[in-house]
Amino acid sequence: MITHFILNGLDRRAGIVVALLVAIAILVPVLNLVVPPSSPFHVPGYTLALFGKYLCYALLALSLDLVWGYCGILSLGHGAFFALGGYAMGMYLMRQIGPRGVYGDPVLPDFMVFLNYQELPWFWHGFDMFWFAAIMVVVVPGLLAFVFGWFAFRSRVTGVYLSIITQAMTFALLLAFFRNDMGLGGNNGLTDFKDILGFNVQSAETRSGLFAATALSLALSFWICSSVVRSKAGKVLIAVRDAESRTRFIGYRVEHYKLFVWTLSAMMAGVAGALYVPQVGIINPSEFDPANSIEAVIWVAVGGRGTLIGPIIGAVLVNFGKTWFTAALPEVWLFALGALFVLVTLFLPKGIVGTVQLAAASWRERRAAAPAAVALDPKPAE
Amino acid sequence: MSKTRDLLAALVIRLTFVVALFAAVLMPAAAQSTDAELKLLVDALAARGFSETEDAIKALAFTGDDRVAAVLGALGEGNLFVGKTSKQVVIGRAAGRDLVLTDPVTRAEIGTEPSAAYTKIRVNNRLRRTIQAAIGTLTLLSDNPVTRRAAAEAVMKTRDPETIPALDAAIAEETDAGILQVMQEARAAAVLNSDAAEADKVAAIATIAGRGDRESLSILTQYIAAPGEVGVAAQAAVDDVNTTIALWNAGQNIWFGVSLGSVLLLAAIGLAITFGVMGVINMAHGEMVMIGAYTTFVVQQQIRMYAPGLFDFSLLIALPLAFLVAGAIGVAIERGVIRFLYGRPLETLLATWGISLILQQAVRSRFGAQNQQVGNPSWMSGSFDVGLISITYSRLWIVVFAIFVFFALMALLKRTPFGLQTRAVTANRQMASAMGIRTPWIDAMTFGLGSGVAGIAGVALSQIENVSPNLGQGYIIDSFMVVVFGGVGNLWGTLVGALTLGIANKFLEPYAGAVLGKIFVLVFIILFIQKRPRGLFALKGRSIEA
Amino acid sequence: MTDAAIAEGSLLYLDNVHRSFDGFKAINGLSLVLAPGEMRAIIGPNGAGKTTMMDIITGKTRPDSGDVLFEGRVDLTRHDEAEIAIMGIGRKFQKPTVFESHTVADNLELALRAKRGPFSTLVHKTTRAEYQRIDEILATIRLTERRSWLAANLSHGQKQWLEIGMLLAQEPKLLLVDEPVAGMTDDETAETAILLRKIAETQSVVVVEHDMTFVRDLGVKVTVLHEGSVLAEGSLDVVSSNPKVIEVYLGR
Repeated sequence: MITHFILNGLDRRAGIVVALLVAIAILVPVLNLVVPPSSPFHVPGYTLALFGKYLCYALLALSLDLVWGYCGILSLGHGAFFALGGYAMGMYLMRQIGPRGVYGDPVLPDFMVFLNYQELPWFWHGFDMFWFAAIMVVVVPGLLAFVFGWFAFRSRVTGVYLSIITQAMTFALLLAFFRNDMGLGGNNGLTDFKDILGFNVQSAETRSGLFAATALSLALSFWICSSVVRSKAGKVLIAVRDAESRTRFIGYRVEHYKLFVWTLSAMMAGVAGALYVPQVGIINPSEFDPANSIEAVIWVAVGGRGTLIGPIIGAVLVNFGKTWFTAALPEVWLFALGALFVLVTLFLPKGIVGTVQLAAASWRERRAAAPAAVALDPKPAE
Repeated sequence: MSKTRDLLAALVIRLTFVVALFAAVLMPAAAQSTDAELKLLVDALAARGFSETEDAIKALAFTGDDRVAAVLGALGEGNLFVGKTSKQVVIGRAAGRDLVLTDPVTRAEIGTEPSAAYTKIRVNNRLRRTIQAAIGTLTLLSDNPVTRRAAAEAVMKTRDPETIPALDAAIAEETDAGILQVMQEARAAAVLNSDAAEADKVAAIATIAGRGDRESLSILTQYIAAPGEVGVAAQAAVDDVNTTIALWNAGQNIWFGVSLGSVLLLAAIGLAITFGVMGVINMAHGEMVMIGAYTTFVVQQQIRMYAPGLFDFSLLIALPLAFLVAGAIGVAIERGVIRFLYGRPLETLLATWGISLILQQAVRSRFGAQNQQVGNPSWMSGSFDVGLISITYSRLWIVVFAIFVFFALMALLKRTPFGLQTRAVTANRQMASAMGIRTPWIDAMTFGLGSGVAGIAGVALSQIENVSPNLGQGYIIDSFMVVVFGGVGNLWGTLVGALTLGIANKFLEPYAGAVLGKIFVLVFIILFIQKRPRGLFALKGRSIEA
Repeated sequence: MTDAAIAEGSLLYLDNVHRSFDGFKAINGLSLVLAPGEMRAIIGPNGAGKTTMMDIITGKTRPDSGDVLFEGRVDLTRHDEAEIAIMGIGRKFQKPTVFESHTVADNLELALRAKRGPFSTLVHKTTRAEYQRIDEILATIRLTERRSWLAANLSHGQKQWLEIGMLLAQEPKLLLVDEPVAGMTDDETAETAILLRKIAETQSVVVVEHDMTFVRDLGVKVTVLHEGSVLAEGSLDVVSSNPKVIEVYLGR
C-alpha cells in the first residue's frame, strides 16, 4: 500500500518535473565548478547562489500551495515555519563556529558572551550535532503547526479568521525573537557562520553542494506532494476545500485532514528555511515579518495554486523580478509587487499554470469537436 | 593675613545670620534691609569654601528681602560672578567673550566686561539644595498662591530643620487650605529630620503619609530603621503609602489602557464596519489611517505657510479633509477592485494587501520615508495631574474624540436610512437585495465610511505617533484583533474589544514588559478565537451558522 | 409502552427536544420516532424547524435539551457530524452540494464505505469491488455516461442525483433527504420518487418536502411540523383533513 502511495505520485508529468530538478541539481554545480569561467556555459557563483535562494523560496511556495491550493487554508504565517527551520539550522551553524568567534569562547556563541550568559541555554543543547539539528528543522515547525492547527481546526476557525490568526502567530513570534532574553541573538539573529559538516560555508564547493541539496529537496518534496494530492486523501483535501461541511457529512474528520496537511506543509517550509540560512549566511527575526509570509502567498498565486508546478514557477519568476527591480528601479519594486497582487487576483485567479492548463484543455476540446462539426456542417454554398 | 580676614567675614555672617533669624521670625512680611547690608551679605557669597557660601546663603535668606530670590536664583544657575580684583559679586550674563553685568542689589545694569576679569561662583549639589530651600522660605510669603505652593514644595524637598521657623510663620499666615497642607507636610518633613521629640516625629510621619505619593515614600523609608516609635510608625506609614501608590498605579494603568483602547477603537471601528457589512478584510485599512495622518501634515504645512494664526484650528480643518480623502480612496478601492472579488474573501485580502503596498510606496515617494513633524495645537499640549496620575491633554482629547466618533457612528447606523440599510445587508445580504436595497451602493458607501473613519483616526494618531509611511502597518494587526475579539457586526463589541485589549496590554506591561505583554495578548486572542470563533458579541442565528 | 421501550425498538428517537436561537424557538418540544426500515415524509411551512431538526440529528447543531437517540442507544448529541455519518446517517442537502472539482466517479469513490482516517486514505488503493460498486451506483442514478465528467459541469437535476448516489455509496442505515426535487422537472420528480422508494426497500428514509404531489407519490406516513413541534401525524389524507393543519397552511 505504501508503494502504491509512493509510485502513484510519480505520474508522467510529475516524473518529468522530478527528473528535471535532479538534472538541475547535478548540472548547475558541474557548470559552476568544472566548466572554466571563460566558457559560455560557466555558471558564475553569484548566479548559483541566487538560484539556490530561489529554489528555497520555491520549496516554501510549494508547501504553502499544499495547504492553500489543495485544502483552502490561506496561511499568512508560513514565513514563521520557514524561519523556525532556519533558526534550527542557524543554531547548528553557530555551534560549529566553536572557539573561532570574536570572543573565542569554546561553547558560547559571541552574542551570548556579549550578553553575559554564563552557560548555554537548555534549548541550545544538542545543536552541535548535525543529525539533531536536522531533526529539529522539521520537528520544531511541525510541532508548532500541530499545536496551532489542533486548536484552530478543532474549533473550526476557517476563512479570513484563520488567515488573520496565522498572521498574528508570525507577528507574535517576530516580537518574541526580537527579544534578547529569547537566547537566539535578538535583533541581530544568528550570523558569521563558519562551516557546515566541516566544509567552509563560503567555499564554492560547499555552495554548489547546498544548491544541489536544495534542488534535490525540492524534487523530493514535489514527489511527496504529488503522492499526497493524487491519493484518496488528496481527493478528500480537495473536497474539504470545495465543500467542507459536505465532507463532514459523508464521514470525514475534516480537522484531522487539515491537521495532517498543515503539519506536513509546515515541516516542508522548515526544510526550506534550513536550506536557505547557510546560503544567505544569516537568520534574524525579520524573517518572521508578516509581509514576508504574504509575499510568499503571491508567488503561489502568480504561478497557479492548486497545481504543484505553479508555485515553483511563481516563486522563481517573482523573485527574479524582485532581484531585477530592486537593482534597476528600487523605487518601483513595491508598486510592481502591489500591482501584482491586485492584477493576479483580478485577472489571473488561476495563476499562470492554471490559465495555461485551462487554455490547453479548451483547445483540446475544440480540436476534438472540430472534425465532428465539419462533418455535420452541410457544404456551404459556393 | 587673608585667613584672619576670612574668619572675620565668617563671624560677621554668623552674627548677621542670628540677627536675621530673629528678624525673620519677628517681622516676617516686611523685611527690607538696607542696600549696604544686603551688599555685604551678597559679597559674602564669594567665600572660599562651600560651607561658608552655604552660611552666606542662609544669612541672605533670613533677611527676607524680595531681592534675594533673584540673587540666589542666579547663583543656582551659575550666573553669579565675582570680580577678580574688585571682589565684588555681580550677576553676569554671557555674551560672547564678555559678560553683561547687573548689580545684584540695585538690579541696575552696570555695563559689559570681559569674562576673564571675573570668576564664576561655583555651587555643588548640596548648595543647590540649600539655595532651593532658601528661595522656598523666601517665597513662602509671596502674594501669589502659585509661588507659595511651589515654595512649600521646594522646602519640602530640602527637609532642612532650619526652615521650620519660616514654615511656622508662613503656616500662621496661610489661608489657602491646599497650600497650608503642603506647608504642614514640608514642616513635618523638616521635623523628622530635626531632633524633635518622638511624639512630634510620629505625628509628622502621619502628616507625610497623608500625601500618599512617591515623594512621601522616599522620605518615610529613610526612617524605617529609626529606633523606637518612629521606626514602627514609619514602617506602618510606608506600608500604607505603598498600598495607596499601588491603587494609583492601577488607576494609571487603567488610564493608559483606556487611552490605548481608544486609539485601537479609532483604528478598528472602520474595519469593523466594512468587515461586518461586506465580510471582507481590508488589508489597506491601516494605510487609510496613515493617509489621514498625512492629510493633517499637509494641512498644517499649508497653515504654517499661509495662515499661521489658524494653527490651533489645524486639526479641526484636517478632520473633514482626512475623512474625504481617505473615504474617496476607499470608494475607489471598492469600485475599482473589491467589487469584482465578491464571494472570494481570501482574494480580497490579497488584493487589498497589494493596494496597501502601493499606497505606502506612493506616500514614501511623495513625502519621503522619514518621520514627518506634525505639531500639537496649544489645546492639545501639556498635561495635568489627578492625584498621582499625569494626564496629557492629547491623550485625553483622543479618548473624548474616540467616544464621540463611536456614538456618532452608532447614531448613523441606528437612526438613519443608510444605517438601516447597512444593518439589513449585514444581517442578510440576499434578503436585503431582494427587498430592493441597492447592495452595491451600500457596499461602496460603507467602504467609504469605514475608510473615512480610518482617515479621521489618522488625524488623531498624528498627535501621538510618528507620522511615517509605515504608520498604518503598526495598527493593522491590532485592529484585526479588536474586531475578531469583539465580534463582527456589532459596534459595542468593537468598543468592548478595544478597551479590553488596551487595558489588558497596559496591565501586562509592568509585569511582562511591552513586547511580552503584547505576545501574551496575541496568544490569548488566538486561543480565544478557538473558544468563540465569532467573537465576544457575535450575531447569532441560523443564517449566520449556515 | 414505556419511553424506554419505544426508544429500544426505534431507529431514530427524538423526545422533547428544544433548541432556540437568540430567543427564537426553532425546535420546541419536538418528539419523533422512526422505526427501522420506515420511510417518513416531513412537511411543514417555512420556519417550522425542518432544517434545524436535520441539523440536530446529524450533529451540526446541539439541542438545548431533550434526547436524540440512534438505534435506541447511541446519544447523537454527543457526537459530531463525521462520527454520526460513519454510524450510518446520511444527509442530502436542500441545495445540491457535490465536490465540483472532482469527477462524478471520484465523488462516489469518496462517499464509498471505507476507512475514513487520513492515513488510511493516503495509502488507499481502489479495489475491484469498489470499482464495481461505483459502476452499480452510476447505473442506478443514470450517470454512467458522465462518469469522468467534472461534477461542476452536471445539470442541476444530475447534481441532485449524484448526491443521492453518494448517499447510496455511504450505505447508511438512515437517509435524511432535504427537498430532493426542488428545481426538478416533473419527469425528474417522478423518477426521483421511484428512486427513493427503491432505496427505502433496504434503508430508512426521512424526506423533507414541500411538493405535495411528490409526497403523495411517495405514499408514506407524513409528519407535519409547525413552530418547532409535531402538529399532526398520519397518512397524507388524514393529515390534510386535520383542521389544525389546514389552518396552518391556509389560514391567516
